[in-house]
Amino acid sequence: MIEGLVFIFIFQSLGELFSHFIFSLIPGPVIGLIFLLIFLFMRGNVPASIDWVGSSILQHLGLLFIPATVGVVLYLPLLQTHAWGIALALLVSTITTVAVTSLFLKFMASADGEQNHHD
Amino acid sequence: MTNALPPMTEIWVYLSGSPLLALVLTLSAYLLGLSVYEKSQRHPLANPVLIAVIVVAVSITVLNMPYAKYFEGAQFVHFLLGTATVALAIPIYKGFESLRSRMGVLLLALIAGGITSIATAVGVAKLMRVDEALVRGLWAKSVTAPIAMGVAERIHASPTLTAIFAVSTGILGAVLGRFVLNAFGIIPWWQRGFALGVASHGIGTSRAFSVHPQAGTYASLGMGLHGMVGAVLIPWAASFFYTNI
Repeated sequence: MIEGLVFIFIFQSLGELFSHFIFSLIPGPVIGLIFLLIFLFMRGNVPASIDWVGSSILQHLGLLFIPATVGVVLYLPLLQTHAWGIALALLVSTITTVAVTSLFLKFMASADGEQNHHD
Repeated sequence: MTNALPPMTEIWVYLSGSPLLALVLTLSAYLLGLSVYEKSQRHPLANPVLIAVIVVAVSITVLNMPYAKYFEGAQFVHFLLGTATVALAIPIYKGFESLRSRMGVLLLALIAGGITSIATAVGVAKLMRVDEALVRGLWAKSVTAPIAMGVAERIHASPTLTAIFAVSTGILGAVLGRFVLNAFGIIPWWQRGFALGVASHGIGTSRAFSVHPQAGTYASLGMGLHGMVGAVLIPWAASFFYTNI
């Protein structure tokens, strides 16, 4: 367990260092993610200790963003003033995103299928 | 007898000085949220994070605890967000291995969905004359919350607002997704799952898993890819619209 945790912390640190000194546009943990992904591809499998720690953390991912989200108390007046605009923006955006992504897949998959058929 | 006990205020002052109070509050609110979620047969509206955030927000307001004070204690939980983000490489890797043949199609659909999510959210908010600070918080809202908050910092948006919008988007997608997919006649599980993962990240993904395992696998790949691609492209795209990035 500790082994997997140390491993993930090392990738996180590398990501933070890289983000701080070399490429600041991408958040450190995401660079850590990319490094870990490259490592996994090179290795060809997920070491059991990393898999165990990673899965345990990800299972309760929601818990981890509670502290930051509670900050909503600081924004309540602003959010109340613009509640309708925000609600509409989120609603329209979520519906169109699901629609566009799925329709894109549908048409590309059927175009792909037809091509294979003619071949 | 009562003299032997320290006065209530003293206990309170002692407790609120240590991180324990904020930690216990956060963890027990989450446990409460989880149990309500399970009792509701995992209904997306009974989202455990949403319940926990409301419980903690009400509690610290009632206890008259400033948010900064609460965060001082809860930061130990918050710290693990970065670690969790790195760990997202694991499901992405597993998804890649099994879904390699469709990767090109999936990436294109992801880009189309990601652009739609930003353009419509920012567009509608601007039309409705929403405050600029809130509009900026919308940019990363379809990306999984841990990554969205990191992206928010990069584009000088509030990570808190972005996290709230991300959670709301997740819930909306999990609740409304299937009606949209049915309306457009999307039948294959992989297409339904991937669209849910792209639009509403972790919350949409757990919804997809509860409907069908194949939908779940594709949803988690959609979420992971959107997180990774979004983290690279959103700050870059935002830099064309905002001069100070």
